[in-house]
Amino acid sequence: MNLQESTVSRYNFEECMKCTVCTVYCPVLQVNPLYPGPKQAGPDGERLRLKDPWFFNKALKYCLNCKRCEVACPSGVGVADLIQSARIRYDHSAPKLRDRILANTDFMGSLARPFAPIVNGVTSLGITKAVLDATLQIDHRRSFPKYSGRSFESWLRRQAARQAAFPEQVAYFHGCYVNYNNPQLGRDLVKVLNALGIGVQLLDKEKCCGIALITNGMSAQATRHARHNLGALRQAVTGRGLKVVMTSSTCALTLRDEYPNLLGVDNGDVRDALTLATRFVYERLENGAKLPFRKDFHRKVAYHVPCHMEKLGWGVFSERLLRKIPGLEFTPLDSACCGISGTYGFKKENYAFSQAIGEPLFAQIRSVNPDVVACDCETCKWQIEMSTPYPVAHPISILAEAIE
Amino acid sequence: MNHNELDVIILGGGITGAGTQRDCALRGLRTLLIERSDIATGATGRNHGLLHSGARYAVNDPESAAECIRENMILRRIASHCVEETDGLFITLPEDDLGYQKTFVEACRRAGIGAQVIDPDEARRLEPSVNPGLVGAVRVPDGSVDPFRLCAANMLDAKLHGGEVRLHTEVTALIREGSAITGVRTRNRQSGEEEEFHAPVIVNACGIWGQHIADLAGVKIGMYPAKGALLVFAHRINNLVINRCRKPANADILVPGDTVCIIGTTSTRIPFEECDRVAATPDEVSLLISEGAKLAPALSSTRILRAYAGVRPLVSADNDPSGRNISRGIVCLDHAQRDGLDGFVTITGGKLMTYRLMAEMATDTVCRKLGVEKACSTATLPLPGSEERSYEAVARKIWEVPSTAQKAAVARMGTGASRIESSKPADKALVCECEEVSVGEVRHAIANQDVSTLTDLRRRTRIGMGTCQGGFCACRAAGLLAQAHGCTQRARTDLCDFLQERWKGSFPIGWGDTLREAEYTQWVYKHVLGL
Amino acid sequence: MKFDTLVIGGGLAGLTAGISLQQKGLDTAIVSTGQSALHFFSGTFESLESPSERLAELFSAAGIRTHYSPGVRLMPLGSFRPAALSLEDVELFPEPHFADKVLIVNFNGYSDFFPAFLTEGLEAQRMSCRLLELDPPELQALRQSPSEMRSVQIARIMDRHWESVVQAIRAALRDEDAVILPQVFGLKDPSIPGRIRQELPVRVVFAGTQPPSVPGIRTQQLLRRRFELAGGTFLSGDEVVQTHVHDGRVHSVATRNLDHHYLEADHFILATGTFFAKGLAASPSGIRESVFGLDVDCAADRNAWYDPSFAADQPYLHFGVRTDAVLHAVKDGTPMQNLYAVGSILGGTRPEFGSGAGLAVRSAFAAVDQILNQYAV
Repeated sequence: MNLQESTVSRYNFEECMKCTVCTVYCPVLQVNPLYPGPKQAGPDGERLRLKDPWFFNKALKYCLNCKRCEVACPSGVGVADLIQSARIRYDHSAPKLRDRILANTDFMGSLARPFAPIVNGVTSLGITKAVLDATLQIDHRRSFPKYSGRSFESWLRRQAARQAAFPEQVAYFHGCYVNYNNPQLGRDLVKVLNALGIGVQLLDKEKCCGIALITNGMSAQATRHARHNLGALRQAVTGRGLKVVMTSSTCALTLRDEYPNLLGVDNGDVRDALTLATRFVYERLENGAKLPFRKDFHRKVAYHVPCHMEKLGWGVFSERLLRKIPGLEFTPLDSACCGISGTYGFKKENYAFSQAIGEPLFAQIRSVNPDVVACDCETCKWQIEMSTPYPVAHPISILAEAIE
Repeated sequence: MNHNELDVIILGGGITGAGTQRDCALRGLRTLLIERSDIATGATGRNHGLLHSGARYAVNDPESAAECIRENMILRRIASHCVEETDGLFITLPEDDLGYQKTFVEACRRAGIGAQVIDPDEARRLEPSVNPGLVGAVRVPDGSVDPFRLCAANMLDAKLHGGEVRLHTEVTALIREGSAITGVRTRNRQSGEEEEFHAPVIVNACGIWGQHIADLAGVKIGMYPAKGALLVFAHRINNLVINRCRKPANADILVPGDTVCIIGTTSTRIPFEECDRVAATPDEVSLLISEGAKLAPALSSTRILRAYAGVRPLVSADNDPSGRNISRGIVCLDHAQRDGLDGFVTITGGKLMTYRLMAEMATDTVCRKLGVEKACSTATLPLPGSEERSYEAVARKIWEVPSTAQKAAVARMGTGASRIESSKPADKALVCECEEVSVGEVRHAIANQDVSTLTDLRRRTRIGMGTCQGGFCACRAAGLLAQAHGCTQRARTDLCDFLQERWKGSFPIGWGDTLREAEYTQWVYKHVLGL
Repeated sequence: MKFDTLVIGGGLAGLTAGISLQQKGLDTAIVSTGQSALHFFSGTFESLESPSERLAELFSAAGIRTHYSPGVRLMPLGSFRPAALSLEDVELFPEPHFADKVLIVNFNGYSDFFPAFLTEGLEAQRMSCRLLELDPPELQALRQSPSEMRSVQIARIMDRHWESVVQAIRAALRDEDAVILPQVFGLKDPSIPGRIRQELPVRVVFAGTQPPSVPGIRTQQLLRRRFELAGGTFLSGDEVVQTHVHDGRVHSVATRNLDHHYLEADHFILATGTFFAKGLAASPSGIRESVFGLDVDCAADRNAWYDPSFAADQPYLHFGVRTDAVLHAVKDGTPMQNLYAVGSILGGTRPEFGSGAGLAVRSAFAAVDQILNQYAV
């Protein structure tokens, strides 16, 4: 018998050496004293919760789920997973209406999109912001992302035939943001992939990845999304033999890791086929594919690694891809949380924390003074654009601009 | 009145001594308890912490079994803050004789133990960590009990009733007048101070070390030192006690206690001289893991925190080499009757579970000798801390929204947690993060619970009993102790002793995460802090 | 992905090697499983008894100030230890009696700094001590949390408010000729300890605290930034899970995060540390090197791994991977031609490199030189 050859525990929690390194890198702990911190909320708290669920502490809701504790942990403990899974197991309080609204990104998007000009006009009005602030505790200093009048899905559907003509195909999990708020990023991806001779297909009805549902305490609904999406992914991966690319680092982390780790939805049969666009394109270029780069492209780019990208460990692909662009001057930013963390920063009670968390990053961006900040995450984009005078673009959009 | 003149002196600060002191104090006697080390350092603090239902003894020792279940029900009432009512399973594995289950259940019923045969599926549902290959299961009212807490609560109640306690004090001689023992000479092992105390009755409640006291008295008691080794795992894998449904053997009990679980035990006869330096051997560790994994397979891949061993204070009855068939029965000797030596009573044998009954028997003997007629009330009077049964209710009464450390304190101290200072933020700061022990709780223990060393503090608060085994909290606690005692020189030695004591339990299982933690502790204390 | 050199391990040894190589124009990646032992760094490069210009140069380019002055340093629990080359934070004295009267400053409620132990140690060296407990309002928020009066959290606030602390100390000084402060200054801004020294009229000594170490974290972050700004690739929170070795050479490795995307390199440096960092793994059946299964110098019998006395030198702390004279790691008795072992994973097997931080830096430089030699025409 193999006795004590290794230890196996839920999210490796007993490998915790109590070294407190996670607490050094927790962005919440730096600003919010009500949060017990990743060590207490995670592996320490877990021992107590195993004794009695009574020890569950509601302050775990302050966790951003940024996973920086996991990246920092020298012992490989799934600290954030422990915290989120404890919330799923033990916190049965009903989420607020406001949290429901913020978390249901696709539902809100599909409602708002047909009326985009009106919705955008209304949500950017001072009076609307004041009302949202007072009634729903959505902070009035936040701007809602603009909704696009035409969804990305409808745009891509219209050119399905053109895309089908390419010799090679991929499926694209575009996520809510590209669909409702920034279809241009989706079109940029199509441009880049087409330039590589690859056509882009939609999944069969994707739903929101569900990360906002998880962090807002709606794991049952998130699990339903996960099951639905896995069906669509299987259909593409095993049915159509496609790779599935994504542009959002958070969607990628959710589909690849949060589904099995937090929601218990097994994705083992498709996980390897789920990739980020920057990784996919970089690997193509590394294998000899060529892109028609413009000769007159000049940009000073500061690259910010979003938290979930840091956790995926794939920032290297975006970085190396950007570095391949002729005329691009690349500066890496210190890996740090921008403070928004999806819907977290939209909540009135978190606004000040959110801005305080992001300040060191904003300061570094100001000191680098780039033409554009590159980043793979939509919510980081809102936060950085709101908090600094610099535009933020996805590496794929920068790449699309750099090619003929 | 001279405080050195007492009605009864109890020797031994284990659970038997503490329980006897409480009982004597409740019956109005002036009591003094003398312990050469700290509370619960012998067999009391070195066992599973199993709140026996008695089922384990039902087949072979029906008398012990009946005692156990009676005391089990009493402890649930009077010591609720020391007890967890978890229930237990007796499982039958394919290699065991399923026929034994019937004998077992019948014996349980005869002893008055509620034993319910359940379906293996139901057992797997109730306790997901149980060996899924089980073919039979019986549910019994086992539980867990924290021996340190139980011991401290008994002493605390004795003190509340006028009792005195001298820890770290050894008996150097018994004072003899004619055919009677009339007092003791003592020496404080820390200060060297020597004293004399007098009482018409001296109770020898020193467990296995009682043989030494009997020697001083010039009487013979044949003690039977049987060593038992145990392993503490870093977290709970089970919430029900798991036992094997077969004749008692090695490593067939897994007890969830506080934040950990404990597997044990072995049984080996050892020479009396070795009682003071028992430790788990590598062979015992291997045996505990391999047998334990049969109860709950997860044990083969769960981090072990400590290996330790205790000595059962059995009184030898026959030449059984395993020591298992000796009755765990209580031995209460009035040496006036037995040996013609007046003023000397020995209470021994028994077990943690029956400490209260042992105390009652010893106190009855003392009272008879002193002509005191007051009846025993320990079976009904709750211990301090256990006035309220549910710790959730206790916590709600004290704080509107209890913090995690406050919840943990209530789980440790019951209603006593209300006396922890928490008005200033500094009081709420954590000393031990693994077990959530606050500065306020540490200060409270130092001020009220006879704490002179870090190791003493550990027994009262669980400081250093968590995953890091004191790596992080020991020097914080040492700072607080130095502040309270105003003596840093002692704090430094004490810190070294504490780390040594933790290491003693770690190195026999020094691999994997335990070795990582040990390396880290070496590094921090030697290279970073410069101890 | 193809690199000139791949370094496994992102602590002091790995970063020293990575920066040195990247500065010489070699495309270098570092794979780091979580944060490193620099978070527990005492600030002194043990066993580096001579001034190392190479180290000072590398560190100062990263914005880290070191100084060299053989003597002793004050330890957090009040003892004195020999020290020579140290971070600027660490004060070095020719002898323990560094002042006559010392003001020890602590923050109210901060229990990871040990004034009582310090006082005892200093009084033994004929120094009189007075304790000043400050209660800066800026720390109030931290106090609300039971676990946040800790070095790094305080340092984060002190980065902004150190000047008010200096003012309070200046006001409280009587006839003391030295001040001892906890090492909670200059987490982000390395200039703060130096500025505090300038602002106070007496000698300032920063004494260590319970880890994590503020100067250590600052060192880690500045070294990593230096490496990345030089163009190096730092893969954080990742670990090597598979290796491809043929004919005594490492060709590529796979990591947990990058799964099927293999990392190729001409040279590999193993700087994974010992047990805590999981470079070595111990189980009841033995000790193995985690990444390549290299030969480990260790006692076969587990009972010989430990000394029962905590205070004694522990045999297991000296276990390490076997190398040839030029640090090629040995597997199955044969040195691997493009794999170098550096840092604490060498254990006690290469005493000429010393121990601790000194071993990390010296062995890293030695491996770097081996690699650079192969590029020299």
